[in-house]
Amino acid sequence: MSERLQTPAPAPCGRRFPEELLSGYLDRALTQGERQRVRVHLEDCAACRDLLGELAALRETAMTTEFLIPADDQWDERPRGGLSRVLRGGGWLVVIGWLAAISGFAAWQIATAPESLFEKLLIFGGASGGALLFLSVLVDRLRALPGDRYRRVEK
Amino acid sequence: MQPMASPSAPRATPPAERPAGDRELVHRARRGDPAAREALARRCRRAAYLLAVQLLRDPDAAQDLAQDAVLSFFASLGRFRAGRPIEPWLFAIVRNRARDLARRRRARPTESLERPEDEPPRRVIDAAPGPEADTARRELQALLWRALGTLPEPQREILVLRDYQDLSYEEIARVLDVPLGTVMSRLHRARRAARTAVERERGLAATIARLGLGAALGEAAPGAD
Repeated sequence: MSERLQTPAPAPCGRRFPEELLSGYLDRALTQGERQRVRVHLEDCAACRDLLGELAALRETAMTTEFLIPADDQWDERPRGGLSRVLRGGGWLVVIGWLAAISGFAAWQIATAPESLFEKLLIFGGASGGALLFLSVLVDRLRALPGDRYRRVEK
Repeated sequence: MQPMASPSAPRATPPAERPAGDRELVHRARRGDPAAREALARRCRRAAYLLAVQLLRDPDAAQDLAQDAVLSFFASLGRFRAGRPIEPWLFAIVRNRARDLARRRRARPTESLERPEDEPPRRVIDAAPGPEADTARRELQALLWRALGTLPEPQREILVLRDYQDLSYEEIARVLDVPLGTVMSRLHRARRAARTAVERERGLAATIARLGLGAALGEAAPGAD
């Protein structure tokens, strides 16, 4: 509390009195000695009494203002639980592993198949084109993920 | 989208009525209890939304930000010490994101075409007896809300955290990441600035009413719902 005593704001009465003590008095945040000092000052300082009254009125005005809050059905999202996130992460790992295994197996089958090179290129070209399209969508989604505020939300 | 329109929307929980058992809720949520996660998410998003709308003054942006902040809170749940109150941790996330958003909006001012709300999206506690007192209270609430929008970001933050959210000085210091000793002086400067801004708004509103410009300027008149 030393800062406020080192740099007191000028009181409305013009006397040497740290004015911010009035706020502390209003908020019951003063030590016993400070409270006593304010009380003594207020006894013969009408300007500070008026200021204190006005600050108290403003605080009471703020405290009695009630705000409407959106009803519960307007908040249809809830934070995803830890278990849910772990399961989802595990699911993605399994799916990626499965895709890698399937792709590798398919590539090996094509490479070792008795068909001609032209036929292999046709199959490989179509499959790799589809895979590239899928990858481009996946990359876009992954890039957008950090800015997606609903990524940790379940509906 | 206008998320505030529903009259059946639940009210904000006043700070004094914060539900107990947060520690247990956090423990169960960490263990993966779906009911606890749902309850914690509901509790967090309401608190996060309330602060976000007070800082941003834009219900749509506040809802997006609150959703985002709650997801971040859940992502960092493992690092959260269960015995501590939720608000300072969650509010620090909300405040940082609100600052990021404000920075982005300053850099790209065309991002939002909506103007900030002139009126707080609120209902008023019927604490004052009689319609006149209630009207006066509504007027002052509207004036303060508009005045809040004119304050620099750091002053608005600390004023919202203390006078709207009722956080203690220690909690405010944690949310804003400032030494405890600076909270009182910074808060007082913000309150003085708010008081001056309310006076200015009051004068402006009176001038508008005197000149009969209220209808021409739409719903800018104070107290209008």
